[in-house]
Amino acid sequence: MKPTRLNAAPAPRSAHDTPAPRPAAKKATESWLQGLRASVRPTLALAVGYGLVGGVLVIVQAALLAWVVNAAMLNHAGLGQVWPALAWLLVVFALRFGAVRATENAAFAAGASVRGELHARLLRHIYALGPSWVQWQPRGALANDLVTGIDALEGYYTRWLPNRALTTLLPIAILAVVLPSDWLSGLILLVTAPLIPLFMILLGKGAEDLSQQQWWQLTRLSARFLDTLQGLTTLKLFNASRREAQVVASISEAYRESTMKVLRVAFLSAVVLEFLATVSIAMVAVLVGFHLLYGKISFQHGFFVLLIVPEFYLPLRTLGAHYHARMEAIGAAERIMSVLALPLTSTIAMTASAPLPLRTGEPPALSFESVCSAYTPGYPILHDISFTAQRGGITAIVGPSGAGKSTVLRLLLGFGTLDTGAIRVDGRSLATYASHDWLTQVAWVPQRGYVFAGTVLENLRMAKPDATHAQMRRAAEQAGAHEFISALPHGYDTPLGEHGAGLSGGEIQRLTLARAFLKNAPVLLLDEPTANLDAHSRTIVHHTLRHLAQRHTVLLVAHRLETAQLAQHIVVLEAGRVVQSGTHHQLLAAPGLYARMAAGADIERTDETEAIV
Amino acid sequence: MKPKPLFESNAHSGDAAQGRRDLLRMLRLFAPYWQWMAAGALLSLLTVLANVALMAVSGWFIASMALAGLTGAAINYFTPAALIRGLAITRTIGRYLERIVTHDATLRLLARLRVWFYMRIEPLAPACLQGLHSADMLSRIQADIDTLNHVYLRVFAPIAVAVLACGSIVAVMAAYSTQVALLALTGLLLAGAVLPWWLYRQGREPGRQIVALRAALRETVIDGMEGLGELRVYGALEAHQCRADALRSQLCAAQRSMSRLHGLSQGALLLCATLALWGTLCISIALLRAGTLATADLAMLALFVLASFEAVWPLPTAMQMLGESLAAARRIFSLADASPAVSEPLQAVSLPARPSLSMRDVTLRYRDDAPAALDRVSLDLSAGQCLAVVGASGAGKSSLANVLLRFWEYEQGCIELGGVDLRNCAAEDIRRHIAVVSQDAYLFNATIRQNLQIARPDATDAQMEAACREAQLHDFIAALPAGYDTELGEAGARLSGGQARRLAIARALLLDAPILILDEPTEGLDTLTERSLLQAIVRLMRGRSVLLITHRLAVLADLADRIVVLEHGRVVQHGAAHTVRGAACGPYYELEHTF
Repeated sequence: MKPTRLNAAPAPRSAHDTPAPRPAAKKATESWLQGLRASVRPTLALAVGYGLVGGVLVIVQAALLAWVVNAAMLNHAGLGQVWPALAWLLVVFALRFGAVRATENAAFAAGASVRGELHARLLRHIYALGPSWVQWQPRGALANDLVTGIDALEGYYTRWLPNRALTTLLPIAILAVVLPSDWLSGLILLVTAPLIPLFMILLGKGAEDLSQQQWWQLTRLSARFLDTLQGLTTLKLFNASRREAQVVASISEAYRESTMKVLRVAFLSAVVLEFLATVSIAMVAVLVGFHLLYGKISFQHGFFVLLIVPEFYLPLRTLGAHYHARMEAIGAAERIMSVLALPLTSTIAMTASAPLPLRTGEPPALSFESVCSAYTPGYPILHDISFTAQRGGITAIVGPSGAGKSTVLRLLLGFGTLDTGAIRVDGRSLATYASHDWLTQVAWVPQRGYVFAGTVLENLRMAKPDATHAQMRRAAEQAGAHEFISALPHGYDTPLGEHGAGLSGGEIQRLTLARAFLKNAPVLLLDEPTANLDAHSRTIVHHTLRHLAQRHTVLLVAHRLETAQLAQHIVVLEAGRVVQSGTHHQLLAAPGLYARMAAGADIERTDETEAIV
Repeated sequence: MKPKPLFESNAHSGDAAQGRRDLLRMLRLFAPYWQWMAAGALLSLLTVLANVALMAVSGWFIASMALAGLTGAAINYFTPAALIRGLAITRTIGRYLERIVTHDATLRLLARLRVWFYMRIEPLAPACLQGLHSADMLSRIQADIDTLNHVYLRVFAPIAVAVLACGSIVAVMAAYSTQVALLALTGLLLAGAVLPWWLYRQGREPGRQIVALRAALRETVIDGMEGLGELRVYGALEAHQCRADALRSQLCAAQRSMSRLHGLSQGALLLCATLALWGTLCISIALLRAGTLATADLAMLALFVLASFEAVWPLPTAMQMLGESLAAARRIFSLADASPAVSEPLQAVSLPARPSLSMRDVTLRYRDDAPAALDRVSLDLSAGQCLAVVGASGAGKSSLANVLLRFWEYEQGCIELGGVDLRNCAAEDIRRHIAVVSQDAYLFNATIRQNLQIARPDATDAQMEAACREAQLHDFIAALPAGYDTELGEAGARLSGGQARRLAIARALLLDAPILILDEPTEGLDTLTERSLLQAIVRLMRGRSVLLITHRLAVLADLADRIVVLEHGRVVQHGAAHTVRGAACGPYYELEHTF
């Protein structure tokens, strides 16, 4: 058998392989982050407002303190004279207490609101991109974006933005009160203040790339570790699990190194900041001292300046401490942005703008007309596929593995794109239906059905939330699943592990079939429904399908010709093209792929394979 | 020995004694790096003291200069001025070095912990990890270990530094005024001991919730991505998204509690500091009037007391976050301490090159309350033979592989490989002698080459090519643009069922083991693919003992020399292939001809 080229398609571009971002991209990310804050502008303003109030209170506190100390030291005042100021100090303390808490609460509220919204948006976008995109993505990486990545944005809105605003406002206020008291100190402040952000920016330039690198290492770590953990048993089979420890070590080491690089730069910028600030404070202290010695200023003013000057640099230093938070947020935001920027494509109209209902009461006829489809341009999976699945009845698609059979089903579900041609439901193009409406009419059993973490009941109930126990039992019986489910320790309430751990392949298959039967949808799309089933279960399922075919349109993909023989109409696919079609007997008689496939299969038993007339 | 039932992810870490034990354990884990930490703590102490001294000396300096200016007295201003500048420099450099040293040591420890954790969970697979989602394990090895950095960076060292710094500060203060010293001490204890302790108690529950909710959110999101197609088709996507949203808002609520606590702690700290300052002023003014305090010392003491709270500033937040770190630590230790289902022998006996297999009365139960998956099963496989094990789905066929590969421990009976009791062999040795081709072989999100190298890491290109040729996969790989370096995508998404099976066969060929277990090797493939795959399978089987597990009798049973029929874990028929197949009645006949 000639190997097919079709699966040689390169994987669709993922947001995972982002190259090192250019400066323009970083600017774009930051402006995107800024854009998100539109909804929380008032809350952020509130946080800044409280911060300002706190700053003003500090000035008032310093003034009161300076007055008290001056009075006590130089005017020989006793407690009796200064008690009003002391009382006011207590008031200021209480107000500062309130302001600090209010700032924190407002800042958190802003950050939480943005994060909640973004989470919902990103999650829905990822899910809307569909299985055809998601299956190529390292799931550990996407999960990292949704959990750690979104949390990383907190620092930007809660710490960076409010502090940045305060950094421009507070020092001005302080400068305004220092200059009148001691113009030389004010000059020092004025001169040193711009130096600090300047140095920060210079150092920050290098840090941004490093931060990007670090976030990339973390993403890689998540992706690799999840893959390893999911395949741990396979690794053990080949005694590769201990060797994998070396990979764990090297990836952890790479992450550690990139984190340390970022931290070194962050600490360096912090130290430069602190150095400038502390040296300035020291200079001011010495200067004020000399001014006092030479009687240039009063002690009260001098002491006031000494108290207030550290507060001048405090917002800048706080900002420096949060610079790392900003870089981390940008790193996380890059990935989130690139995922959100991916366009949504589907055969089915994604908006509910055309919610025309299907003709209820009768199962629809499905037809493919000259359909071509490719994962990526130039590597088509389906060439010019045309066939019709009659309403009420079974149509089977058969062919060698890799021929594109599953793709036919996936296109019907909207999990892929149509390049040319049309898929019609009852004569109307599928693209005119709203996705949500169409899917309520469809039940699907994929090749490897997914069993969710939850109980058997929950896994069934997702098909029909209001199903009664009787209905679920009936569906399970139709799939031949009721017996083994009842034999489980807690029956229908037995919790299932990841990927249905605790169930055999055949049991999982029957469970997903039961799910499809429970939904009782007019269209039934089944991908290898009898795979993994032994002869007994197979018989039950065949019987059910024959029964359902009366009032449902069943389109099934089969490897096993015994299952295909249930169908009134069989379509044979090879390398993405329809090579034969007809009834079982017609195809058997004609020389071709079907006859060749049948020759290899065991189809002596024709008693159970009568197609419905 | 049954694997213990697994961790309830909402287990309470509320046990205080357990928290203390975990804390001590974390301290012990850090033992190799204690010198770094000590150095870091020392530098931190230096920095704190320098800062406090800077403010105190500055206060004293300008007060003295003012007095000198007013009274005209002489004053040695060089020393204090120089001291101020010196302290400024010490403080900045000290802080930088301290951070570098402590962070470097902590990050190294965390990297080592990741490997340690992996080595502890590796033996647990698959039996003990069955109830645990891989996303949960990912959370533990990634996020939870990261959370531990908090304990090392912000708890251990800062507490030591705070105690030492406060001690020295209060001692110096006492030289000026015992009342002020006592007041400062009270304030420092309030801010540095009482407040943090209260915050620890308050922060434990939200911290535990944050850790658990993060893991649950990760799990839900990954679950949704893996079953996205079905969620969509069954219209359950909305409900799933709502669940994820609910988890996120619960996480937010827990974070809000923490944020409130943080705001409260910052405010309370400030209050303690400013009230201490206030008290100092009152006392100092009284003392000044009484004549027992020098004038300049008033300003100095005021700033001294205010600045001294820097020694305890990090403590409240550190203790607030401690709950979260302890919850993360509990998750890590609880998994790392689990004992594996199968124990290794003390003295491993090595296996002969081509061992025969014999099982006598082997019974296996997956859970104590579950029916036996294998019920007194006996079978023999001589070297070079092919034994087909057939039975209905769920009859226990795959359990045979589980038991032979030492993934699960059987409770009764005896298994011998080449005459050696299985329990006396090292599990690794056993797996070198047994290769498995199953229908759901996991393919990694890596290149084809890397997926093959799992079987033999030192395989040359020629060897890989030869294996792929035998498996009839080489032509397909050669046609790919990147050849053997083609990425396979998540869970091998790029390969069709048949190609994935061939890759598994190529892997088994590379492993070149004397015993082969084929678990439904052609299940789910069309007849043409199956036929061509059979050629590859026959080549794989050459010269090896084969355990062929299948319920597809017609095609594969041809390959068998002997057949064993299993039903509900019990052997119900066995014999030479032609005898069993030729029988006109019996379990095999029924399987083949069942309605």
